Amino acid sequence: MKKRLQSKKRRPVPVPIASMGDIAFLLIIFFMVCSEASKDKEMDVVLPISEYVKKIELTVVARVAVDKNGDIYFDGVNVDSAKDVEWGIRALLTETISDDQRHVQFKCDSALPKETFEPVIKAIAAGGGIIEAVGEIQ
Amino acid sequence: MSRKRYSKEKKHRSGEIPTGSFSDIAFLLIIYFLVATTLVKVKTIAADLPSGEKSSQTQSDKTPIVNLRGSEIFFNDKKVSVDLLNERLAELNLGEKIPSKRVIMLESTKGTPYENYFQVLAGISANQGVVAIVEDDK
Repeated sequence: MKKRLQSKKRRPVPVPIASMGDIAFLLIIFFMVCSEASKDKEMDVVLPISEYVKKIELTVVARVAVDKNGDIYFDGVNVDSAKDVEWGIRALLTETISDDQRHVQFKCDSALPKETFEPVIKAIAAGGGIIEAVGEIQ
Repeated sequence: MSRKRYSKEKKHRSGEIPTGSFSDIAFLLIIYFLVATTLVKVKTIAADLPSGEKSSQTQSDKTPIVNLRGSEIFFNDKKVSVDLLNERLAELNLGEKIPSKRVIMLESTKGTPYENYFQVLAGISANQGVVAIVEDDK
């Protein structure tokens, strides 16, 4: 009886780990394909507040930012003037068909005066972009 | 003699690549990506500014106009708060009108901070208005 019990001892069950590497690499490929690298550098920007801001659900064609010092960034690259933004957006929107492809993210410091930010807003509009102004919820 | 022995030993070597640690490397890479990634969904307001030809005169006397004078907001020349402006805009029922009748003119003086500008843009866009920026006379 005792002997039988001993024979019932659990046998080591081999876990199939041969394909673990493949699974892991497939996961890496999935993450790399699905992720979008942020083109915005860490900028010193205090965002304005509004009760109407919503989480953006669509893909933006370009990202424009104006930092605390009034420096203008187009897709993370510092540009000289608002005119560069207009040309950049015009170039990106040459082959767009629908309105969904015209959205341009605009980030600006809340304390900046009109003289600094309005030319950029006008440049986005002149380039054919729909402004997605970034803010924080109240 | 010693040369012979050496060459024989060499032939017997197997050229297997050690793949046992591949899964560990892959999972470490996944963990790195997961830790290093920041998932950001920005909150925005959409503002479609028509990029038409400049007009020397206003569309009509009845086109609503929002004036930003520094930190003060005026709607049709009456001083309002942000909440009151939103109420006034809601009363216009812009969503039910044709796009050409949804125009809200936006005028601002020098030095107007982006914070105020953004709140007005947010209010107009939430009430489905189309913003027309009034340019300064030069």
